[in-house]
Order: sequence, then C-alpha cells, then structure tokens
Amino acid sequence: MKRRWFIAIAALILYVAMLLATWDVSTQRADRQTQSMLDYAMLDLDSTLNGSIDTMLMHVGESIVKDLGQVGPHSVEEMQGIAEQYDVDEINLVDRTGRNLASTDARLPETNFNDKPRSKEFMILTEGKRLALSQPFRPGAHNPDVHRKYVGVAFPNGAGLVQVGIDETRLVQKFPAIMGFIFDAWLLGEHGFFLCADLEDGHLISNPARHRDEATNLAETGYNPNSPFVKEDAKTTFRQCLFGEICDCRAVIFCGHRIIAALPPAEYYTTRTLYTLVMAVVLAFVLGLFVMLFWRIDNDAARIQAFYAAEAEKAAVELELGRTIQMSVLPTDFPDNEHFRIAASMTPAREVGGDFYDFFALDETHQAFLVADVSGKGITGALYMMNARTLIKDMLLAEPTFNPATALTQVNAELCRNNPAEMFITAWVGVLDLENGRIAFANAGHNPPLRLRNKELPEWLRERSGCPLACFEKVNYRLFETALAAGEMLFLYTDGVTEAMDPEGNLYGEGRLATTLVGAVSGEPDAVTPSGLDQAVRASVRLFADDAPQADDLTVLAIQYLGAVERYMRTFSCNDKAVSSTAEYLTAMLEKCNCSEMERSQLLIALDEVVSNVVRCSNASGIALEVRFSRAPRGVTVSVSDDGKPFNPLYVPEPDTKVPLEERTPGGLGILLLRKTMDDLNYRYAHGCNILSFRKNFA
Amino acid sequence: MNITKTLGGTSLTLALEGRLDTTSSPQLETLLATELDGVTSLVFDFANLDYLSSAGLRVLLSAQKRMSRQGTMKLRNVNATVKEVFDITGFTEFLTIE
Repeated sequence: MKRRWFIAIAALILYVAMLLATWDVSTQRADRQTQSMLDYAMLDLDSTLNGSIDTMLMHVGESIVKDLGQVGPHSVEEMQGIAEQYDVDEINLVDRTGRNLASTDARLPETNFNDKPRSKEFMILTEGKRLALSQPFRPGAHNPDVHRKYVGVAFPNGAGLVQVGIDETRLVQKFPAIMGFIFDAWLLGEHGFFLCADLEDGHLISNPARHRDEATNLAETGYNPNSPFVKEDAKTTFRQCLFGEICDCRAVIFCGHRIIAALPPAEYYTTRTLYTLVMAVVLAFVLGLFVMLFWRIDNDAARIQAFYAAEAEKAAVELELGRTIQMSVLPTDFPDNEHFRIAASMTPAREVGGDFYDFFALDETHQAFLVADVSGKGITGALYMMNARTLIKDMLLAEPTFNPATALTQVNAELCRNNPAEMFITAWVGVLDLENGRIAFANAGHNPPLRLRNKELPEWLRERSGCPLACFEKVNYRLFETALAAGEMLFLYTDGVTEAMDPEGNLYGEGRLATTLVGAVSGEPDAVTPSGLDQAVRASVRLFADDAPQADDLTVLAIQYLGAVERYMRTFSCNDKAVSSTAEYLTAMLEKCNCSEMERSQLLIALDEVVSNVVRCSNASGIALEVRFSRAPRGVTVSVSDDGKPFNPLYVPEPDTKVPLEERTPGGLGILLLRKTMDDLNYRYAHGCNILSFRKNFA
Repeated sequence: MNITKTLGGTSLTLALEGRLDTTSSPQLETLLATELDGVTSLVFDFANLDYLSSAGLRVLLSAQKRMSRQGTMKLRNVNATVKEVFDITGFTEFLTIE
C-alpha cells in the first residue's frame, strides 16, 4: 500500500517537473521566435528604409535625366537650380567616358568618375545593362562629417549618367514625410508594432494602429532610452514596457530618428500556454495510465502475498493440529499404587517434533512403558505417531509373554507395510514385572536410558536391539533384561534433552544429564520420585538453553519400582461361617504388619460388611480373599471375590443419617462405613466374579 | 462375643466383650428380645467391645427404638473405633453416649 502511494507521488512529482520543463522549453522557444521575428523585422526595416530612399532618389534621377534630355555640359548655377528644385544636395552629369560634364559643385567639372573608386562604381550604368545604382550613406569626400548618399541613373543607350547625392541632414527633414506612413501600416507579428521618433525632441512620427491616440511623444509610450538595458544597435533585444505592455524591443538610430520594433512576447507565450496545456493533458493520461497499471500490478502482488501468507497460516494450523493430536494421546493420569510410581512429560517444540511417551498395564503384574520419537511432523507425523502408538500397545498386549522385542518386530513389519512418507520412529519399550522388579526391554535406535540407584552413579543401558522402526522391513529386535531394586528408577528421554542447545550452540549432552540426575537422586531416598526427576531435568535443560529456541520436542519419563508386593490369598466356601472365617484370616494376616488398633478394627468392619453382603445376597459358591501389603505407601489392599450374581454394592444409595430415630432403617450403613473409613474402594466384575477391593493406608 | 447381664430392678446393664458383628449380633438380638420386658433403664457397657459393624448397628437401632418407648438407654465406655462408627452413621444423634 505504501509503495503504491510512493509511486503515485513520484508520478505526480514527475508530472509537475515535466510540465515545468515543457513550460521552460516553450518559453525558450517563444523567446527564440520573438528573437527571429525581431531579426527579420530589423532586416526588413533596413531594406525598406534604404529602399525607400533609393527609390525616391532614383525617381529624382530619372526626372533629371528626362529634364536634361541628353548628355551635355551645363553651368553650375543651372545644376544648383535643378538640385534646389528636387531638394537634393548634389547632381553630377557624366558622359560615357566618366567625364563630369556638369555638377552642382564648381570643383567637380572636368574630373573623371573613373578616378575615384566610389564614383567609378557608377560607370557600370554606361554599359547599358543597368539603369540605376544606389550607394549607402558615406562620409563625404570633402567633409567627412557630412554623410552623403548617391544614386545614379543612366541615360538611354548608356550615353551617360546622372548622379544624385543627398545629405543625411536633408533627409532627416524629409524623413517624416517619406517614412511616417510606412511605420503606421507595418505589422510586426500580430501584436507587434514600430515606433519612430525624432532623435532630438522625441516627437513620434509614427503611431501603431493599436495605440493610435495614446502618445505623441516617445516619452509618453514608456520608452526610456537611458535605461542601462537599452542598446540601440539593431542587434540587441531588450525589454521595455510600452503602452503598459512588456515588449521585446530592438532599436536603431536612422536618419536622425529612433526606430523601435516592439513585440509583446505574450503573443508567443500564448503558444507556450497552449503547448503546456496539451502537454499537461497528454502527460496526465500517460502517467495516470502508468500509475493505474502499477496499482493494478501491486494489487495483484498483494493478493499473491496474501495467498502465500494464507498458505503459511494453513501450514501453521496443520502443524498446530498435528501438535494437538500428539498432545491429546499422551496419558496424563499417572497411576499411584503400591507397585511403582511413574512420571512423564513432553514439552513440544515450535517446529519439529513427534515425540510421545506411553505407559499401560499389561496385566496385574506387568506394566509397559515407552518413549518414542517420530521423524515426521504436522498432521501426517501425528497420525503416523498415533498409528505407531496403537500398534505398539496392541502388539504388546497380544504378545503372550509381553516380550517387547517380539512386539517391536511385529510393529516394525506393520509400519513398513505402509510408510509412503518414509518416516521412521526410534523407540525404547520396557515391561516392568511388578513382582520382582525385572525389566524386559527392546530398543529401536533410541537414546540409552539411565538406571538410577540411590546415591550411586547412574548407569546407562546402552544395549541396542535394532535400527529405528519403519526403516527396514525384516528386522528382528533383540530382547534385553535389567532389574530394579525397590526404590530404584529408570530414566527415559528423547534427543530433545541431550541435543538441547544453549544460545552459543553447545549441546546439553549426556554428561550434563547424568550430573543432573545424580544431583536429583542424592536426597532422602523416600523423597526421590519420578516426578521430581522429571522436573529437575526439565528445569536443568531450560536453564541451560536460556533464551535459545527449543529445536526439538523434549520428552522424559521416569519410573520407580517400589519393591515386591506381599500377597496372600485364601478361598472360603460361601456359607454362614464365611463371615467369621474370613475375619479370622484377615486378623491373622494383620498380625504381620504394624497397624493401629483402629485401622485393624476398620478393616475388619469393612470385611464383615462385604462378606456378610456376599453371603446374604449373591448366591455364590465360594469366596476368595486376597490380602496385599505395600510399602510405599504403606498399607493393605483387601480384595473379596465371589462367583455369585453380578452385583455392584457401590451403587447402593447412601442412607440419610439425619432423619429421626423412628424413621431410621439399617439399610446401606455397611457401604457407608466402607466409604468413610477406607482410602480406596473399587468394584469390578471379571472372569465371572464380583471383585470388591478396599484399601487402607497405614499412618 | 461374651455378654454379661446385670439386672437390678427395672435396670439392665449389658457388658459386651469382643466384636459386635454379623456373626455375633444375632446373639444380642435374641437376648434383647427376651430380657427387655419391664426394663426402664438399659445400659450398654462397651468397655471391652472391640468394634461393631452395621449388623450391630441394626440391633442397637432396634433396641433404641424400643427403649425410647419404655424408658432410657445409655452407652458407656465407648472406644474411638465405635464412636467413629456412630459418628459416620449419624447414630450419635439419637444414642445417649456417656
């Protein structure tokens, strides 16, 4: 948008500049036209003035020739009489040989015209080819102050000639009469005019038609001969304000008169205005067209830019969508039980990524956990990730021995079957046996996890069972095993941790990770938890990276084994004795642990309620009692199973304990007691059995 | 469960020992059904009672209903476990616990 206005303003400036240039060129052109007009006028003036005088003198000469009739001698007085009659200063009569036969000047007879160059020129008239010859004013032969002009006229057949001379002073007197009318009728351009004034008194002998009655004297026209600009040499143009109008002028002094040619430049400037106007229209059209064209192109460019921006936005949305899918499948409900503790987190990077973690129970004693890194991103990557995640889970669940290596082999084969985007996945999959802490694991090209023992150096599990998933179809992943003692942890992560960079581009690396973990597990053994580890590592990476952008997803998973669980189990017949016999069994079991009198009583009440309920309502044949002790948290879980009709006692509505005595009924009080005194209460129906378990944590 | 009866005029004291649960409450129920005629003051001594379950509560509820009509009923030496059970079930509202 900015660019468009810039171009428009540039075009406007160009427009104005070109108009000014046009104006200037037109002005110069007009000035040149004025100049040439004046040049021409001055030439014309010169020839007209001289021509008029010549013509007049030739007429005089012809008349004298006619009067004299033939070539012959005449007295000086006779000649002077003729001169007086024709109002000229000198007359000479010359014969064919150049001999001066008669003259108004007594000194001249008997001289020869051939003797002097100036007079000799006239002898051409005796050759019979020309009838007349004129010479300009020149200083006189006897008196140089007197400027005299000669005209010669031939006698018929070249018998001789008459030369007539006139002095400038005489002509000055005759000038108004001869010339005055010429100037009045003489046009100079359309509005130009000539002024002719007496050199002495400034009296105007001419007056242009346009200003006929405005002035009789040159002074009244506004002409100032004393102005420093005025040069009356017929060649220099100067400006004067004549009759209130600026005029380009040339002036010349001729025959005692000042002759001024004046041309108002406005006349040519009219052309200039017209020319500029035409130019203005044409330029406006051309530049307007250009600007419009540019706007159009720029508009298109903006649209293209907007299109690409929208595309980029779409890509960002897709990336975001993929991210949302990725985040949505990560489990965030971390089980809190007596067997193990687990914590995991995934901090997504802005651009690249595709990490995921997962954990799920395979059965009551086997817990699977894994971290993986998918090479793709966006929706494609996210969907591929989901696919891989489901496959791993399905294959592990379907695998009879929960062998993660076999599961990965099958997952790999399945992933390879349909992988058009050529993505691949690194994964570390472990299966924890809750009864003994053993971990079976398989590693498909993933970073080695660390095994953490309290106050000991962490140990890298560098065993690698094969290449990443989805690379090669026929890969058999190998199985490895390790074991965790009670309280020990396994720490899994993705390369987003070790390859995190600080602003200088240094990698976080395995060394720092190990150091951080050592620091994290150096506290009180009981206080070291997977979530604490997770937070410690993430905080350390964040501190290291400072403000550097996170290049890759950062995933960590920590699992802590809490030790083997003590389990005791016995089955009872479902009859009237079951209540007391199960109570005896539980009493005996509780002898093994250190619990308070009240905790013991509450457990026995709970058992009484559950078993009596089963005996009374379920129509079952047998009852199985399972007692499990756990260390962290310390407590006991009692499960009562029966093969009676399915019935969930937890659905029994809670009784109203506020009603008066008379309205109170004993129903529902048993479940109420269970709910209020136990820390966990759980019912499920599986394998044809009702299984109700309740847990009490010991103080 | 052992029950020790002490009868003085119209006042009956029952000292319970052990657990008042599903197994033992019928014993108390039977006893109450026969012994309460003409009794205006019934006293339970829970000094040696470990705990009671909802079955025991049911017997106590029925005894309280009857004694409300013909006299008074009191509970003595109630331990913390039993007191909690009474609290949870709202029995504290109508039982007289000394």
